[in-house]
Amino acid sequence: MLAATAACGGSGGSAAPADSKTLTIATSDGLGFDPKDAQPGYFDQYLQPVYDSLVRPDAKGNPSPNLATSWQYDANRTTLTMRLRSGVTFTDGTPFDAQAVKANLEHTKSGTSTTAGQLALVDTVTATGADQVALHLTKPDPSLLPNLGASAGMMASPKAIAGGRLKTDPVGTGPYTLDASATTSGSSYTFVRNPGYWNKADYPFGRVVVKVVTDGTAILNGLRSGQFSAGAILSTKDGPTAEKAGLHVLYYPNGDLEALYFYDKAGTIVPALANPKVRQAINFAINRDAIVKARTLGKVGPTTQMFSISADNGIYDPALDTAYPYDPAKARQLLTEAGYPNGFEVTVPDWSAVAPEVMAPLNQDLEAIGIRLKLDAGPQLQVYTNTLQGKYAMGWQPYDDNRPWDLTQYQLKTDAPWNPLHYNDPTVNQLIGQIQLSEGDQQLQYYRQLNRYLVEQAWSAPLSPAIFAYATAKDVTASPVAYTKRPPLWTYRPAA
Amino acid sequence: MLKFLARRLAGAVVLVFAVTALTFTAMSAISGSVARQIVGQTASAADVQAKAAELGLDRPVWLRYGQWLGGAIHGELGRSWFSGESVGSLLGGKVPITVSLVLASVVLSVVVSVAIGVAAAVRGGWIDRILQTLAVAGFSFPSFVLGLLLALVLAVQLGWLPAVGYQPFTEDPGLWLASITLPTIALTVQVVAATSQQVRGSMVDVLQSDFVRTLRSRGISAPSLYLRHVLRSAAPPALTVLGLQTIGLIGGTVVVEKVFGLLGLGTAIVSGSTQGDLPVVMGVVAIMVVIVVVINLALDLAYAWLNPKVRTS
Repeated sequence: MLAATAACGGSGGSAAPADSKTLTIATSDGLGFDPKDAQPGYFDQYLQPVYDSLVRPDAKGNPSPNLATSWQYDANRTTLTMRLRSGVTFTDGTPFDAQAVKANLEHTKSGTSTTAGQLALVDTVTATGADQVALHLTKPDPSLLPNLGASAGMMASPKAIAGGRLKTDPVGTGPYTLDASATTSGSSYTFVRNPGYWNKADYPFGRVVVKVVTDGTAILNGLRSGQFSAGAILSTKDGPTAEKAGLHVLYYPNGDLEALYFYDKAGTIVPALANPKVRQAINFAINRDAIVKARTLGKVGPTTQMFSISADNGIYDPALDTAYPYDPAKARQLLTEAGYPNGFEVTVPDWSAVAPEVMAPLNQDLEAIGIRLKLDAGPQLQVYTNTLQGKYAMGWQPYDDNRPWDLTQYQLKTDAPWNPLHYNDPTVNQLIGQIQLSEGDQQLQYYRQLNRYLVEQAWSAPLSPAIFAYATAKDVTASPVAYTKRPPLWTYRPAA
Repeated sequence: MLKFLARRLAGAVVLVFAVTALTFTAMSAISGSVARQIVGQTASAADVQAKAAELGLDRPVWLRYGQWLGGAIHGELGRSWFSGESVGSLLGGKVPITVSLVLASVVLSVVVSVAIGVAAAVRGGWIDRILQTLAVAGFSFPSFVLGLLLALVLAVQLGWLPAVGYQPFTEDPGLWLASITLPTIALTVQVVAATSQQVRGSMVDVLQSDFVRTLRSRGISAPSLYLRHVLRSAAPPALTVLGLQTIGLIGGTVVVEKVFGLLGLGTAIVSGSTQGDLPVVMGVVAIMVVIVVVINLALDLAYAWLNPKVRTS
């Protein structure tokens, strides 16, 4: 259904180390260098030069060895034992060992960020040997291991953690160190090669410079004029311009699912939404093909499934995308059967400023079957607050879906943050519980059941995964990795 | 003169207080969800509340403003809610960028406006008509559109100048000049369009004065007549226009900085207000108000120097 499309070359083939070359990445400003304050995603571009993570995601987002060389869960899946790579030291000379892992996980968990929240089910960490550590969980967490491949699993020097200056002075085991003399905070961060790094082959550039640039057009101009090696040009509509200029362009899923979400499935605000036929009617009424084509230039296809960020997750089923073809007549019939032949009115947040090519046709499509949208305009910051406070019965929004388990925890379960009206679906909760306690094929079966159930119940009206355009200069290539919001640093190569 | 300065400074203090109080109140009205922005979409409600308490969002607005004001008077502008960095050091690197653009634009505007205005007033005829037409065209061209065109043609296509980024003067004066050339041109065109017209108009009026006829009859040289005598008399109205344009130019830096990827005060206030990073926004507003006050004061002093009657009024 979707793939990250590499245009204009960019095979990502390996090249000989190029120590004299500088990789200049243009991106938004960071949140400092302390993993406990990190939000997974864009900000990893600041952290990846200096920190290694315990595991590394492969191209499909599955964990592979990194600082941890092997791992195993116990039968209850509440103790994760990890063997650590030996002979690795932080750049301040502190050895990387089990005690360092314990110090890091406890430190990161103490924050209030999304990254900290990813360790919420980690109760205690014990060093069971110099190079072995056990993570004891209060409950099984299917996302824990993959999450240890990003900011939640990044390892900083315990001495630096204790010193309290990690936010501005990072010390890790990573391929580069921050060159403070060539760094201007909030503007440009220079990282120079860590001479003692244990995996130099994966990082061919001698220097990495991360430049703060907030405007997509400025990034595109910088790429075209040769000032930058890589950057997100954000709008897929700029992708063709970048391709014509000879840049390599990846159309990259950013982990968000764009959908019309039904928050009020209990019918508290809008009684009609409690009826699955009404929600199904809305699904039939939306011309997904047209909206998604306009929004993504056809770089990704429409979907009816919430588990669709990665087509390779084994849960997404192409057949389910045919469940709700565009059929306004069918939609009107379902509304009539549900007792709403004249439709109804519903207040939704107005995202016209951000996604005019979505809001206008969505409005039209629903108006055509009698559902009148009352757009509630306001600052975008306020939209989040209003949504979380349960002000809206439904609304379009790009949600950070990311991994399948994350979707269940952040959106589906009764007390999920983005289930603001706390809709309780016993079937969903039961399946989530079964997923949590299973693994392998059995777990996959439960996920598939859940996916099918959500589509049949019209839990929401998904449109498509959100994608953006990530460009690299003619002499640089990068590769996408599932569930990451930017190509990880280890995928950049000088172009062959 | 001292009384004049004292009055201006007192007015400036009131202005700073009024603008910062209004900004703080407006920003506070939308700060309710900033804790969620900081901790992320998927953080728990408890984490959001903890962050809100950490930021003091549960305290009354007037109390928080008072604390901010007290700190600001002592040079402490607080810390960014997002990066945790001191606002002073965060903005310290951005002030030179915006000030470079503003000063360079003002200097270029004065030189070009005077040249165009004097040429048009003195030569008249087809030169005057061409220069007036160019001035009107320049006035109707938005600075960000011009900036985009300049970046595309001179930087991306021809590679003559950098398309994005700023090089500090202290690191390399040559590269500094290269990095501010295109944004300065983009900012200057509209200022020149308005100011040169005023210079031309004032010059034409003054050239018809009796004292000019007298000076001509005494055989004074043309350059001395036009630049030393006529221009000095024609300057005050042009100075007023320049002052207003310069204040508008500060607002124009917001867009031009974005186009050229310059991380000045303009970019800081856009990202700060989008995110809801109140300490950063307040820091930028405070600095910009001070810049406007200083510009107004400089113009008043220049006006007083040109027109002695103003000093005693």
